[in-house]
Amino acid sequence: MAGLIITGEMKLSDIVDGDKRALVLFPRFGIELGFGDRSVEDICKKLGIDLQFFLLMVNTFLNPDYFPDKQLKRVDVDMLIGYLVEAHNYYLEERIPYLQSLINNFKNRVDHPAVMQLEKFFDQYIDEVRDHLAYEDETAFPYMERISAYGKSRLPLERIDYSVDVFEERHDNIQEKLSDLKNLLVKYFPPAGDRYLRIRLLNELIDFEEDLINHARIEDKVLIPVVRQLEKQVR
Amino acid sequence: MNRTILIAEQSEIIRKGLVQITGNLNLFDNIHEISCSSKLKTSLTRLEPDVLVINPALIDPEMQQWLAGYRDRKNGSGTFDTDDSNEDGDNHENTGQKEIKPGYFRIAAIIHTLIDDELKGLFDEVIQVGDTGLKIKGKINSMLSRPASPGSPVQDDTLSSREKDVVRLLAKGLSNKEISEELFISPHTVITHRKNITRKLNIKSVAGLIVYAIINGIVNVDELHDDKNINK
Repeated sequence: MAGLIITGEMKLSDIVDGDKRALVLFPRFGIELGFGDRSVEDICKKLGIDLQFFLLMVNTFLNPDYFPDKQLKRVDVDMLIGYLVEAHNYYLEERIPYLQSLINNFKNRVDHPAVMQLEKFFDQYIDEVRDHLAYEDETAFPYMERISAYGKSRLPLERIDYSVDVFEERHDNIQEKLSDLKNLLVKYFPPAGDRYLRIRLLNELIDFEEDLINHARIEDKVLIPVVRQLEKQVR
Repeated sequence: MNRTILIAEQSEIIRKGLVQITGNLNLFDNIHEISCSSKLKTSLTRLEPDVLVINPALIDPEMQQWLAGYRDRKNGSGTFDTDDSNEDGDNHENTGQKEIKPGYFRIAAIIHTLIDDELKGLFDEVIQVGDTGLKIKGKINSMLSRPASPGSPVQDDTLSSREKDVVRLLAKGLSNKEISEELFISPHTVITHRKNITRKLNIKSVAGLIVYAIINGIVNVDELHDDKNINK
């Protein structure tokens, strides 16, 4: 289903059939599984989700070539930040702990002097991801919310020394170490009788990497241009 | 700089001519000549010339293979036989007699007639018998200033012993500058080594390289500088 654009008439279950990566998006919108044959439009109406926004997120996330030029003007920054914060929570509370448990199993099962260093490397990487997410949650998003509030209500804007350009510059690549980790496990870590354990770990690392890339695309293609638009109106 | 050239050619007229011409170039401190292939291996091993000018007629298939291997080892892109035990960069005892000092080595063909297609890959340059002295000078000069040709097209992603040195020092927590001082090379060369290491291994972070270094016995766990290696 790569390249197919999701529309409101489609069934939620068909989206999942076409691309299982869509599964992780549902909790971010408060959609629970067990939705039967409901269409996207139905579910959005029932749960009070903005249909256009939902489609924008799903399509940008699933499709690297999707470029939502026209829809950007209507994107609500608060809604967008709400979505991104949900995604961050998913990484912090679900994905990272699971990865950590896999690394931990690997470490306990594999007897090799390099395994301690591998764990250290992984921990270091996780710290980097946490810092990256915390920076966005604590510095970038609050700024964006203030800009948005000003746009909506003209509440007095305090002096600000931040801009989306800073965000863009700092929006560094947090997948680099992940790719190193994959390489080490595939090419260099000697066989250690770990078999499926290492495969499970690798699968999870690959999924996580892809998830992060898709997530970063939403920030680059939607968040940054939308906030830049707002800044133009405000300044 | 002490440069050596070895000329291997049966024809005395041509050999003496080349000795004369290369002598006038003021590029070489030592000029050696041999007239048959039987002395080639020992001359190369003993003299370690920077340039070999050789008549392709002296190169039989066995010699071709030997020369390609010799050149790869000299240029730091090959491995020694199938012996893995000399992984450790600073342990020269293991490699013993086989160790050939790294340094660029280039081969030029001196030809009278057409050159065999299979042999072409071996040469960095081809000198024609009809070339003028000036032209030969230009060819040797450009050969010396070019990076060594990759030799046999074998894609070899193992690290050279110098690159292993760099990895080991990185793992110990040294900066590029400290590494350059330790190895007596310029910081620029350290950066070049690091680029090549990353390209060969497809590992970009220092932390990842540390894991690689331990896996491959380039560094021992207890050699790691504990807090420093956490830094980028």
